[in-house]
Amino acid sequence: MRSSTRASGIRSEEAAPAPAEASPPIVAARPLEPRGDPTRRARPWWADVWIKLVRRKPLGAIGGVIVLVMLAAAVLADWITPYGFAQTSLRERFVVASSAHWLGTDELGRDLLTRLIYGARISLYVGFGAIAIGSALASAIGIVSGYLGGRFDLLVQRGVDAWMAFPPLLLLLSIMSLLGPSVWNITIVLGIAFGIQNSRIIRGVALLVKEHTFVESARALGAGHVRTTLTHILPNVVPTIIVVATTGLSTVILTEASLSFLGLGVPPPYPTWGGMLSLAGLDHMYRAPWLAIWPAVALSLAVFGFNMLGDALRDLLDPRLKGG
Amino acid sequence: MKQYVVRRVLLALPTLFLVSVFVFALMRFMPGDVATRMVEGHAYAPTLDALRHDLGLDRPVYTQYLDWIGGILLRGDLGRSYWTRQPILEEFVRRFPVTLELAFLTILVSVVLGILIGIVSAVRQDSAPDYLGRVLAILALSVPYFGLAVLVVVLPSIYFKWTPVWTYIPFSVNPLENLKIMVVPALVFGVTRAGPVMRIMRSSLLDVLRQDYIRTAWSKGLAERPIILRHALKNAMIPVLSLIGLQMPLYIGGSVIIESIFRLPGVGLFFFEAITRLDYPVVQSVNLIVAAMVVGLNLLVDLSYAFLDPRIRY
Repeated sequence: MRSSTRASGIRSEEAAPAPAEASPPIVAARPLEPRGDPTRRARPWWADVWIKLVRRKPLGAIGGVIVLVMLAAAVLADWITPYGFAQTSLRERFVVASSAHWLGTDELGRDLLTRLIYGARISLYVGFGAIAIGSALASAIGIVSGYLGGRFDLLVQRGVDAWMAFPPLLLLLSIMSLLGPSVWNITIVLGIAFGIQNSRIIRGVALLVKEHTFVESARALGAGHVRTTLTHILPNVVPTIIVVATTGLSTVILTEASLSFLGLGVPPPYPTWGGMLSLAGLDHMYRAPWLAIWPAVALSLAVFGFNMLGDALRDLLDPRLKGG
Repeated sequence: MKQYVVRRVLLALPTLFLVSVFVFALMRFMPGDVATRMVEGHAYAPTLDALRHDLGLDRPVYTQYLDWIGGILLRGDLGRSYWTRQPILEEFVRRFPVTLELAFLTILVSVVLGILIGIVSAVRQDSAPDYLGRVLAILALSVPYFGLAVLVVVLPSIYFKWTPVWTYIPFSVNPLENLKIMVVPALVFGVTRAGPVMRIMRSSLLDVLRQDYIRTAWSKGLAERPIILRHALKNAMIPVLSLIGLQMPLYIGGSVIIESIFRLPGVGLFFFEAITRLDYPVVQSVNLIVAAMVVGLNLLVDLSYAFLDPRIRY
């Protein structure tokens, strides 16, 4: 139980020790080929995953729908919003919901709905960016550390230990205060944090995969370390990476929101849900409670969606990582 | 057991060393210059160089590090804040009880709620209360605690003319008044933390209830209550405990946000103020203390397994 398999995310909400006894379903060449009934082989594996998702995990499917709506809002924000996200109108400050402003306006007369929709864009931008950076980093650290083993592994793991000793928020706040708030900075910082945190899980899987005979035979056939890791170990780690990435998305989005909430995430005038809730804007919310309600609702929905989708995908792709 | 404790403590030392180097390097090599801000915005010294000299920033980096870490190890001196020139340790000790109380109450709320709902959910699996409990847990997982905190601060004051108390009263002065202040932040934070506790409690109790010794207990005619509370619960608690241990950093990190919303004068607020002013000594010392606490707590959690499950031997 000490082998600290922290599940998903920047120290996930659900970090739970993974059950150790179940051995991983390892396939040598193509990891996600549907097994059994050969007539169904025509369907690609990812279509299978989606069908399974809807049938077996209705909550996960609801999460998927929320994520899709969010994606659509983020992509189409320029066309579906009637106002600009920074378009102020001082004559229309604190307008209550009306036909012109469906969710009302804020202290500068900016349309709340418009800002919420653009907020989805920033959240996803930072979320996906950080996850992409983080997954690459986690895989690199995890696979190299697990594959090489020995002193290198020991050294790297002590470094990871040191990083994990910090409460994530404290460390991220310290770094962001020095770098200064910006979309780029927060994406990179969250990505690095996510990567280091999750390298443990990837390393654990790499350690297991490494012991299999197909790795030994590849080495015996003369494959170098680079080829062995890339063509034999990496493909077997991919399902875990996907799971870690999807379950991590909600945590990354939430962390971005909490940093923006404190004013150290995405700087104004970019609308982010965390920034709209912000500590600095608390005084305005007494006049216009909708300024607090809607961003909180949007954020909760997004986190709910990603949580449910991530959980469902985890159960379908890699049940070993299952928590509570 | 004794050997295990010694080995774990020895393993923690290099981690703490790396932590200190890391947090120190972070503060020195990242962009962001406190001296410029202090001179230009607040006229702390006539020139930049004079201020750098005053603060000791003109010395080589390794001397600064040795000075800092040496002060901590030899004299228990965490240094002084750049801005207020007050000793950090004093400030930390003064504020720590607030954060500790908040963390304690938060954990209490989340554990009591999470475990109770988790037990009901597991024992009455697939019944209406189970579904209700699971939905609540998912809700708690989804609602960000700072969002909930803002709503709790804002909405009641508009609709019920109720506001949280902003002036903090220490527990030692007036325990009742103090609890009145702390209970709302602790509830807000604790409720959102109860979600994961409940889910782990439920799944681990379900696991334990399927085991042979529980069936034996049933067949020898034991009542439900002693089976659940005396036989199953103790084993089912292990993952819950490890979750709380793993979540400790989240409680401490969260206190930064909760304390700044509810204006509680704890370590979190201290840290947040230091961060916005780039007060290096405070930021690095608080980070180091907190990291040391996390390392210590993880150790405690590991050791407490042995108490809950005597089969675990080291």
